[in-house]
Amino acid sequence: MSNDLSLSFNTSPHLRSKNTVQQAMYDVIIALLPISAVAVYIFGINAVFTIAVSLVAATLTDLVFRKILGRWNTPFDGSALVTGLLIALTFTVEASWWTLVIANVIGIGIAKELMGGIGYNLFNPALFGRVSGILFAGLFFNQVNTTFAPLSYQAGPVDVVTQATPLALLKMGAEMPPMAQMFVANQGGGLAEVSPLALLIGGVYLFVRGHIKWHIPVSIIGTVLVIGLIFAGPELAVYHILAGGLMIGALFMATDWVSSPVTPKGMIIFGVAIGILIMVFRLALSPTEGTAFAILIMNAFVPMIDRLTKRPVFGEAPAKAQAQAVSAETAGKPA
Amino acid sequence: MSVKTFNRGLFLPHYKESTEDKAIANIALPGEVVIPLQQHIGAPCKAVVSVGDKVKIGQKIGDSEAFVSAAVFASVDGTVTAIEPRSNFTGADVESVVIEVAEKQEEPSWSDRDISNMSGDDIRAAIKEAGIVGMGGAAFPTNVKLSPPKPVDVVIINASECEPFLTCDHRVMVEMAEELVLGAKLIAKAVDAQQLIFGVETNKPDGIEAIKAQIEGEEGIEVAVTDVKYPQGAEKQLIYAATGREVPPGKLPLEVGVVVQNVGTAVAVYEACRFGKPLYERVLTVSGDAAANPGNVKVPIGTTIEHIIEQCGGFKDGKEPGKVVLGGPMTGFAQTRLDVPVVKGTSGILLFSEEMLVMSEHMPCVRCSRCVDHCPMYLYPNSISMNAEKGLYDQAAEWGAMDCFECGICVYVCPSNRPIVQLVRDTKKAQAAK
Ligand code: SF4
Ligand code: SF4
Repeated sequence: MSNDLSLSFNTSPHLRSKNTVQQAMYDVIIALLPISAVAVYIFGINAVFTIAVSLVAATLTDLVFRKILGRWNTPFDGSALVTGLLIALTFTVEASWWTLVIANVIGIGIAKELMGGIGYNLFNPALFGRVSGILFAGLFFNQVNTTFAPLSYQAGPVDVVTQATPLALLKMGAEMPPMAQMFVANQGGGLAEVSPLALLIGGVYLFVRGHIKWHIPVSIIGTVLVIGLIFAGPELAVYHILAGGLMIGALFMATDWVSSPVTPKGMIIFGVAIGILIMVFRLALSPTEGTAFAILIMNAFVPMIDRLTKRPVFGEAPAKAQAQAVSAETAGKPA
Repeated sequence: MSVKTFNRGLFLPHYKESTEDKAIANIALPGEVVIPLQQHIGAPCKAVVSVGDKVKIGQKIGDSEAFVSAAVFASVDGTVTAIEPRSNFTGADVESVVIEVAEKQEEPSWSDRDISNMSGDDIRAAIKEAGIVGMGGAAFPTNVKLSPPKPVDVVIINASECEPFLTCDHRVMVEMAEELVLGAKLIAKAVDAQQLIFGVETNKPDGIEAIKAQIEGEEGIEVAVTDVKYPQGAEKQLIYAATGREVPPGKLPLEVGVVVQNVGTAVAVYEACRFGKPLYERVLTVSGDAAANPGNVKVPIGTTIEHIIEQCGGFKDGKEPGKVVLGGPMTGFAQTRLDVPVVKGTSGILLFSEEMLVMSEHMPCVRCSRCVDHCPMYLYPNSISMNAEKGLYDQAAEWGAMDCFECGICVYVCPSNRPIVQLVRDTKKAQAAK
């Protein structure tokens, strides 16, 4: 044995868990497979096309921005694929390919890479992309509105593929599809709106794998349910949960690590605030995009929530309590 | 049996199977020993022998006038061949006494004292005379720790051994339970504590039984059985689990009337008080996936790790390991060379293969909150690391860097493999320089 071994010298700890960002991202993709499958089952080749376009756009955007920003060597973490898939799922199959591209370029390129790359983004890239894609389409491409269901739902069923979204029906007070059908598989709205059940299965998978906690989804859904019960009655309250982007928002968007708080307490505040905002949007304002805007707005408050919910260091709380007790005890005594 | 624990922390794979049932073995003496004159926290010793001197096992070879210090002793019969700086386990050069081991070793003869009526001062004096330090790794002089400026009502013997791979304390518990309990009682007596608690994790059932057999029917002595959670052996977490008391940030266990001592230290205290035997040898674990023949060995202080590894069969399949660590895998020190000596605080020599060391490049924090979930001090390792990385040390301190005791959990769980402990050290250095 010699004394000049090529031993790696670095600091403790010397053991690592098997957790990696890549693994987590692949798990999110796995968790999105059930909903993707139901979407393909219902919409057929059109859904495949939507998802494929979004994934290609996501990958290309990721590559181009990394190249431009000189982040070429950062490890491939799979997060662009997750964002691409999530973006696809928030659209309807009528979304034109360029809307998907715009959503991906803005979501991944601007909201994430330009902000400093993964970990530095304030807003959820998928939602930011989705909302921007729609705004762009609405602002600059009015003439193509008819191929863009979310902005033309008020015209009633515009083509053979999609029906009016349940959310729009809910707003109009129209008759809803049966609840069981809504839960398992229905034809309304975007790809991710077709099956709350499939989303739930994916969410449970992420929970079991330890990637998300229950606090955010439960507080969002709970808040929506309570407000729904108060203002819309028991039956409609349940529809509020099953309809629109609520499920994918609560389970997959609001739970995004980077853009959500880090402590359970912060997560509950975040979730309840999102739930309230969603219902304000839905009941008082426009019925669409409520979930997306609610989450994006609360994303901006995450640093503040983290600061306000800062927990005391081990030993700090009892020490303070004791000091108070002592000062209370001595307060009454003559000096 | 109710199992006690603390909040947060983490269940780590403990990798103790390969050595936990192996009895403590002796190994052949090395050709020379290198005994650093500073093996403890506090003032370094000055050599009290010269080059050429013949020394006997247990003879004092280094001492200091300072209160916070611990004398060092020859661990073999032999001749002093050099007194010079040698590399220690942290990579620093430390003045050391090099002793060539004599071919013929005489059996040392010890006194046999009655420990039953020793006073606190007698006990402290014997401990100081024996150069005993905390043997769990911190190496703080024990007589100082047992001279508390505040009243102490509880002494806890830390038998958690929560670091993966290490089993030396476990074996001491099983094989030397009587000495351990007697030493623990001496410690309790030294600080006049009414209660003595042994904190042992559930993964050492034979250790728990061995101690229980010794203390049966005695008042004021108990075993606190704790969960196998890391870092159960950290002082604050152990005190919390055993007594429910929380040591405030920046304070010592003394603040809540507790003194914690390690298993090995308690045995050393017994041997010092009863026989006047100084601390010149210790039990440690040789393990890791690249160790040919893992086990627990008793070695003279100053033996190089190279010699010990050789005596334990060398590297597995003769293959050079990826890393050699002294101490536990979560808080130990990686070595660049193998001629460094074992000191009083060395609890293990761990040999790891390349495969064991999955070290991907580190990435930005993705705020997954795993570190926040598991930090046993309730800190924010995510924010500490993000700020310290940018040189914002004040902010890093605000998120708790100064209260971090570098247990390593946050780095272990981090999917981005962030060097949080290193950034904490940077922060502490920067704040200390202010
Ligand atoms: S911040 Fe410090 S105390 Fe907390 S887990 Fe990390 S190393 Fe341990
Ligand atoms: S474990 Fe790592 S990635 Fe996760 S929050 Fe902590 S520092 Fe960030």
